[in-house]
Amino acid sequence: MAVANNDLEKVIIQSVMEELAKKGLLSQKGKDHMMSAAMMDMPFVPNPQSEEMVTFPPQEEMQIDNPFNADAVRAMKKLTPARIGIGRAGTRPKTMSLLRFLADHAVAQDAVFLDVSDEFLQRMNLMAVQSSAGSKDEFLQRPELGRRLSEEAARKIAEKCEKNVQVQILIVDGLSSSAIEANIPDLLPALMQGLKSSGIKVGAPFFIKNGRVWVQDHVASIVNCDVVISLIGERPGLGTAESLSAYMIYRPDENTVEADRTVISNIHKGGIPPAEAGAHLTDVIKQILSAKASGVKLNQQK
Amino acid sequence: MPESNNQRITSVGIDIGTTTTQLVISQLTIENTASGSLVPHVEITDKEVIHRSQIYFTPLVDRDLVNAVAVSKILESEYIAAGLTPEMIDTGAVIITGETAKKENAKAIIDALAGFAGDFVVATAGANLEAIFAGKGSGAALYSAERHQVVVNIDVGGGTSNYATFHEGKAVDSSCLNIGGHLIEFERHGDRITYISEPAQTALETTGQRLQVGERVTLPQLRPVVKAMAECIVEVLKTSVHSNLTHKLLMTPPLQLAHPIRKVMISGGVADYVYAEKEPERMAEVTVFGDFGPLLGWELKVSLDSAGFVLEKPNETVRATVIGTGTQSVNLSGSTIHLQETTLPLRNIMVVSPFTAVIPETPEMIAEVIKSEMIQLQVAQTEGVVAIAMKGPRTMSFLDINSFAQGLLLGMQDYIVNAKPLILVMEADCGKVLGQCINASATHPLEVICIDQIEVDNCDYIDIGKPLMGGRVVPVVLKTLVFNR
Amino acid sequence: MILKAKVYNKIFAFQSLKEVMSKANEEKSGDELVGIAAKSASERVAAKLVLSNLTLEDIYNNPVIPYEEDEVTRAIYDGLNLRIYQEIKSWTVGYLREYILDHKTTGENLLHISRGLTSEMIAAVAKLMSTMDLVCGSKKIRVQSHCNTTLGIPGTLAFRCQPNHPTDSVEGMLASLKEGLAYGSGDAVIGINPVEDNVETVSRLLDTVKNFMVKWEIPTQNCVLAHVTTQMKAIEKGAPVDLVFQSIAGTQKANDAFGVSSAILDEAFALAQRKGSATGPNLMYFETGQGSEVSLDAHLGVDMMTLEARTYGFARGYRPFMTNNVSGFIGPETIYSGREVIRADLEDLFMGKLHGLPMGIAPCYTNHMKADQNDQEMGTLLCAMAGSNFFMGVPGGDDVMLSYQDTSYHDDASTREILGLRPLPEFEQWLEKMGILENGKLTERAGDPSIFDK
Repeated sequence: MAVANNDLEKVIIQSVMEELAKKGLLSQKGKDHMMSAAMMDMPFVPNPQSEEMVTFPPQEEMQIDNPFNADAVRAMKKLTPARIGIGRAGTRPKTMSLLRFLADHAVAQDAVFLDVSDEFLQRMNLMAVQSSAGSKDEFLQRPELGRRLSEEAARKIAEKCEKNVQVQILIVDGLSSSAIEANIPDLLPALMQGLKSSGIKVGAPFFIKNGRVWVQDHVASIVNCDVVISLIGERPGLGTAESLSAYMIYRPDENTVEADRTVISNIHKGGIPPAEAGAHLTDVIKQILSAKASGVKLNQQK
Repeated sequence: MPESNNQRITSVGIDIGTTTTQLVISQLTIENTASGSLVPHVEITDKEVIHRSQIYFTPLVDRDLVNAVAVSKILESEYIAAGLTPEMIDTGAVIITGETAKKENAKAIIDALAGFAGDFVVATAGANLEAIFAGKGSGAALYSAERHQVVVNIDVGGGTSNYATFHEGKAVDSSCLNIGGHLIEFERHGDRITYISEPAQTALETTGQRLQVGERVTLPQLRPVVKAMAECIVEVLKTSVHSNLTHKLLMTPPLQLAHPIRKVMISGGVADYVYAEKEPERMAEVTVFGDFGPLLGWELKVSLDSAGFVLEKPNETVRATVIGTGTQSVNLSGSTIHLQETTLPLRNIMVVSPFTAVIPETPEMIAEVIKSEMIQLQVAQTEGVVAIAMKGPRTMSFLDINSFAQGLLLGMQDYIVNAKPLILVMEADCGKVLGQCINASATHPLEVICIDQIEVDNCDYIDIGKPLMGGRVVPVVLKTLVFNR
Repeated sequence: MILKAKVYNKIFAFQSLKEVMSKANEEKSGDELVGIAAKSASERVAAKLVLSNLTLEDIYNNPVIPYEEDEVTRAIYDGLNLRIYQEIKSWTVGYLREYILDHKTTGENLLHISRGLTSEMIAAVAKLMSTMDLVCGSKKIRVQSHCNTTLGIPGTLAFRCQPNHPTDSVEGMLASLKEGLAYGSGDAVIGINPVEDNVETVSRLLDTVKNFMVKWEIPTQNCVLAHVTTQMKAIEKGAPVDLVFQSIAGTQKANDAFGVSSAILDEAFALAQRKGSATGPNLMYFETGQGSEVSLDAHLGVDMMTLEARTYGFARGYRPFMTNNVSGFIGPETIYSGREVIRADLEDLFMGKLHGLPMGIAPCYTNHMKADQNDQEMGTLLCAMAGSNFFMGVPGGDDVMLSYQDTSYHDDASTREILGLRPLPEFEQWLEKMGILENGKLTERAGDPSIFDK
């Protein structure tokens, strides 16, 4: 709209000036003057097609003015992911530090509170079911709801999933939908390839919304598998919102405790990369299958 | 947990130099440092020197040829002194340095040491490697990391001066100059010249000095040529525009000097005289070991001082190289790798790095690059074992890793039909999944060794040892067999 | 004991003191989760009304968890000064609130009656107090303690420097420590949460920090926040421990889940006295938080705030050097929003102080709560005005090992300058000597960790 209005304005000014000039009421000099005045009034016109944009400076950039030993500060920044060497404005953080913090927190909150997209689930060809937590608020405030499937989910799994397989893979949003979208496309094919080429019988992986770790016990009771593995989003930190964990358990029952689960955490591009994690998890699952045990019981057998 | 979280290995380092031969035995502790739920991360957590040999004069058959049998005798007696047998040595390296680093020596030494040096002790040489080992052994590498300051270590031995520049613990530059304290030999405690080496002759000619074998010299007569040599050593630190003499004596490209240098550390046999309280006043003091090391040390200190460099004291002087060799030659692979244990150890694997720039996208194009590199290097695909080295696949996505696996199989087709293991060494952390993809894509069973998180820049050969920590990691020694001259 | 109240035209009847206590609480998700929160705003007020009319004796006679069944209850009752209790037992909770806020009542008076108050009495009165009431009450009370230096001196505000590292890297930890010191953080303690709870890691971190303190002559105390039994093993092996740390809770069942008991803490305190490296006499560092009993399923139907008060009752027998509250760390199932955290922090600060504890607060939040940095900063400023002895100091406010957000090094310096507060005296001298602080303000040089890399 702004562009159209301005164009119109220019046309009007120009035609008025031309009329004045025709009538000899305007010197050439005056014409220039009036034109430039009109130009100055024109606001800057944004160009939405431009590639220019504002971004954060690189994280490793040293932000301290006149440090005693700049190399030392740079080296220290390499030694820890902590926010150090970031300088200050008076006692407060610099503008970029403040905004980066806000951005990291925003990404973390979005990872927790937004859902895995339907488009993603379709692209990965994953059936989707839900825990008994109806909303994110309920999921966060009532942990027990995320540990059970909804009645509809239980029905759907009983109906559609293959029974008595060796391994059932679950993709569970947990506390980070972003972790799912970032890692599953590389982790899942690597894991499937590893298990299949080892001759292990695997059920079709599916997705559980608003789920917690324990929901795997409920699934295992329906599909009757040897090992159930949940690939679940970890609680985001400000450093990354994309970290994923794998929880595995051998034949869970009502006496199952936390220590019976084998856990591999910190799966993301800055930790163990997802494709490599898929290959590593294959080995771990093979160990669990041959030991017929997981968690502490597995470690004791090693 | 019954699966042990740490393991100790014994490593030997042997330094056979122009003048001296020495040995150290160290114990390396290897530990999984990752906490419970993390993927294992195995690293070397402790290095302890448990035995230092005497410092022997390198036994020679004649001036250029090392008496390899005598070297193996030294080894034998030192093992006894340390209470060890060759079977107890897990790893290590022999470094053949300075003037001794000639092909015929290397061959003879490797043959003579076989059986004495444990299962996985490898021979290495190369001035750059030597310089870096010396700087790690002297403490220069650690100094640069702890103080966050660039430091150059110069290991000044009998025949050569080896430079290594360290920045935040890493070697970033190195060079070698043919100057050392043993280039002119004298009667011990005397003043009669018994030998003048070629580089010393060059120095004499360039400085217009006339000294001859059999001649007796005074300290004032000797000083100018030694001073000139010391100044050559300092010149390499200062500028890349060199005097005629420095130019002639450089054995490798000079230091690039990308980092400003202020701090200097000296190790090697001459180092003790650099840090000496007072200068040698008589010829008898200069020739205490039958050479001019004490005078070179003093003159080097004077030159460094007047050029404005700050001298830092090393933790080790004469033993720096051997300690560096014994404790720093072994690298550990990443902790999620793919291998068949029976094949290992493998020695003298030729490294081929086909991918200089970007890695192509399709398996066919990847195969093309590998094939043309193998032809260019004239690697007859029927001979010897080869490792393909690279930074990693195009991206870390499963699709790219899988394409890469297919490309590798295709490119190495002729090689693997000879039932040789397919060996891959890369920097990126995806060894296990790449190995899995290769096996999944291969049409028939295949030996695949795929190790990651190893940088193989500027290295011609590698040795891969037996797996450690229940097969989680393998020790890797990077080396070069390209000897000086 | 009247358990019935009329709020305008509605009558509410309660079954027990326990029910009144829980329903009188401001809204928090943990009480909702357990199913003991007030069902309506009116019921909440009715509960407060009933509570205001109860006497301290009523509360004494009705502990929320019986004496015989719980060692926390026993610690509270056994440690009570009966003479003082007798003097005030006829006070109503409503009167106690007004007594606390009265101009004539001093901090000394409050610390005197403190000895005759059980934890439930203190919780009860806090339930009747608004945000500003809690600030007024807290501000009156100053509790000082001494380990190597003195914490809680009027006009000072101290900080724990918390240089955590995700893999316990000593070099990485030192980098964050240097940054913190360069902002003036670290006078309360240099305290590290280890990833690996074993003697080797704990000893390595303790040795490193102690050596750094000695090398740079830093007047403070060190601590590694592993499980108390790990620290005890480290002390036995000769590690330098100034402060012994432990997380504690308000029921015996929750403490069992933490792996602690009176017996273990007694032993730890005795060991710190015999083999610790500090001057003393205060040698313990406790952390507490509303909701820990809920998350451990060890709440026994008691509300989070009352359990938190009981935790302080358990702590006070050990004369800790510092007690830190981390209510915002527990999670959304106990405390959901920024508003809930700020309220909990102020309640806890007040309740801790009225127990005679040297209180500090970590006004913190996790990323799965509906809270952000603005809430965190409001909480910090309110608690600082209320006279918190100390806060945490985390690089950039982001703890890269525990994955939560807390007071930053910048906030530490800001809070001091906004409220005109100073570091602990010895530490201030050291900061001046290092050229970090001048007349209570950061110098040009401050904020540069490389001043330690000459």
